[in-house]
Amino acid sequence: MSSLTLSTLTAWVRNSAVYRSIIRHGVADTNRNRSLVIFENLFLHVHPVKVREKTLKFTHTFWLGGITMVATFVLFATGILLMFYYHPSVPQAYRDMKELMFVVDNGVFYRNMHRWAAHLMVLGAMLHMLRVFYHRAYRPPRQFNWVVGVVLLLITLLLSYTGYLLPWDQLAFWGVSVGTNMAKEAPLIGKPLRFLLLGGNIVSENALLRFYVLHCVVLPAVLMLFISVHIWRIRKDGGVQGPPEKDPGEEVEP
Amino acid sequence: MSQTPQTFAPVESSDPMVVPKRVAMVRPDTRPTIRRREEKWVMTFPHLIIREVIMFMLVVIGLAVVALLFNAPLEGLANPLETPNPSKAPWYFLGLQELLHYFPPVVAGVVIPGLVVVALVVIPYARINLVAGPLWSGDRKRLTTGITAVTGVLVILFSTFQCWAIVVPSLIVAAAMFLARSEGSGGSFRRFLALVTLPEWVMTWFVLVAAILTIIGTFFRGPGWSLVWPWNMYPPA
Amino acid sequence: MLDETADNLSELTSGEESRRQFLTKLGLGACAVTGLGAALTVADFLEPKVLFEPPTSFRAGTIADFPEGTVRFNQEQKVYIVGGAAGIFAMSAVCTHLGCITRPMSGEPGIACPCHGSKFDLEGNVTHGPAPHPLPWLEVKADAAGNLTVDTSVVIPHGKALKA
Ligand code: HEM
Ligand code: FES
Repeated sequence: MSSLTLSTLTAWVRNSAVYRSIIRHGVADTNRNRSLVIFENLFLHVHPVKVREKTLKFTHTFWLGGITMVATFVLFATGILLMFYYHPSVPQAYRDMKELMFVVDNGVFYRNMHRWAAHLMVLGAMLHMLRVFYHRAYRPPRQFNWVVGVVLLLITLLLSYTGYLLPWDQLAFWGVSVGTNMAKEAPLIGKPLRFLLLGGNIVSENALLRFYVLHCVVLPAVLMLFISVHIWRIRKDGGVQGPPEKDPGEEVEP
Repeated sequence: MSQTPQTFAPVESSDPMVVPKRVAMVRPDTRPTIRRREEKWVMTFPHLIIREVIMFMLVVIGLAVVALLFNAPLEGLANPLETPNPSKAPWYFLGLQELLHYFPPVVAGVVIPGLVVVALVVIPYARINLVAGPLWSGDRKRLTTGITAVTGVLVILFSTFQCWAIVVPSLIVAAAMFLARSEGSGGSFRRFLALVTLPEWVMTWFVLVAAILTIIGTFFRGPGWSLVWPWNMYPPA
Repeated sequence: MLDETADNLSELTSGEESRRQFLTKLGLGACAVTGLGAALTVADFLEPKVLFEPPTSFRAGTIADFPEGTVRFNQEQKVYIVGGAAGIFAMSAVCTHLGCITRPMSGEPGIACPCHGSKFDLEGNVTHGPAPHPLPWLEVKADAAGNLTVDTSVVIPHGKALKA
């Protein structure tokens, strides 16, 4: 028997019955197995097995949609951590912030990470939209995916707006007061809408609880739903488009 | 995909035991991957997946470094009785807050954002965005009057509200549009300008206005929403 | 299949419906009614029925506390109480623009809002935008002993000051 090295160990794991029951294909050194890597995996199978080589170029998408997506993952992960310490009540919410910052191990790090990832997500979604626009990637057959994108941008803004209230500090309170007073100006529906959103006439404990539920449950769920449609449609619309073709003759116009 | 299409004769059969043959239906409106020229394709694994993983790691590392270096702000406990001065929304709403300084709340808070959302949604459905060529490739006379008229209306409208943050970029964009008129001649910058389409001009104008309003709101507004230098934003208590 | 149905339909004279069409409509209608009912009950559920918000009327000293020229800022109630030339009046301190709390300006007489730069004179009139309306005046009542009560829920027209 050969001595124990990393490669014999890997081989042993790969050949074990348990591993084979989870991942059925062999080492990805043939194109057949490389295809299987993609379509035997729930998480990778949103990809096609092959992609056009030029779509890999950085300037094709500037990776902006992908960066926004990574920011979203980071937000989910750090957000769930923060929820373990946060109470959506007045003034406990604010004390929890202080506790996270000064008492909880790594609390300040995860809070910072959540905050900066939120900024990255908003910025990323905006830049991604501009990239799609200037590449004219909104044209048929991608019209609908553009509209899904606009909805994603709005959900992103709502998420960061609802999250803005949660620390219950002065910035939070007044930012949300001014913002919801703006909603009041909308004809007819403005006032009732604000009342429902805040659960009252002023930004109070009710409002904090409502924003918390929206921020931690409702909006993330809706976001995941629309991201799924968005990603699925990219695939159905023929993959990412990137910059318009130099020679229009090479593009097949619908 | 580039082969000449074979003639295809469907065989109809009502025999339930016949295994149906699958054919790809390519309708004219859903064939984005079909190109006249054959392109180079690569395996998604590893070529795309490895790039995605690297991008993922770079973003996470970048965020971690930022999170280690800069603390997220936390001010005093919320006090409904005292408004901080200045009182600012998050940065992506400061353009809007800046507009609120000039226009009544219905306009700045409801009408303008509503119009922006509607405009974004209709982009892929408006013909102009699908067919537009270089700006000056059409009827030049009509375009000249068009640009002049629209710019004139915008400038007069926003001047009455003394909203120079919109007037100035509008004038700059209009000037650049006329600069693009001399297609072919001039330096490479001018030749680049000449290729820009009308929808791109409009979007660029919008981005410029939004960016300027946001920058003013973020860095140049102090107590009482007065114009200040960034270093005087919070007066010594 | 499709063609068969189409054939069947064409046999019906106008105004007649096939049983299938009728049942389809009935089913869709039932779904719609259920959906509407769910939406209405949820909307009703979300509307708070009891609010714990501060009381609207409060005591504010006596008439003698407000000789001409005094401006008192009651921060807790967000109200200015002013002893003016024509008498005493109370005025909301909530900016009519977007609801920030205004405060008296230091240096010059007047009131300023920190949020978007509105300015008001001591009677509440807008002297500088973007506030669309003057600060509303609120009801002040005095009892026989001269004790003042302000009710922030009752807005009175400008100029109706309480004669001292
Ligand atoms: C939460 C926000 C969003 C996420 C996570 C997201 C994610 C993505 C990703 C990963 C791609 C692949 C290509 C790329 O990276 O550019 C993509 C493509 C696309 N996105 Fe988004 N997106 C978001 C918001 C938006 C917005 C705001 C718009 C436009 C209004 C939009 C419109 C599109 C379109 C039309 C495509 C196809 C582009 C092409 O084929 O070249 N998306 N999106
Ligand atoms: S809230 Fe007072 S100026 Fe806007």
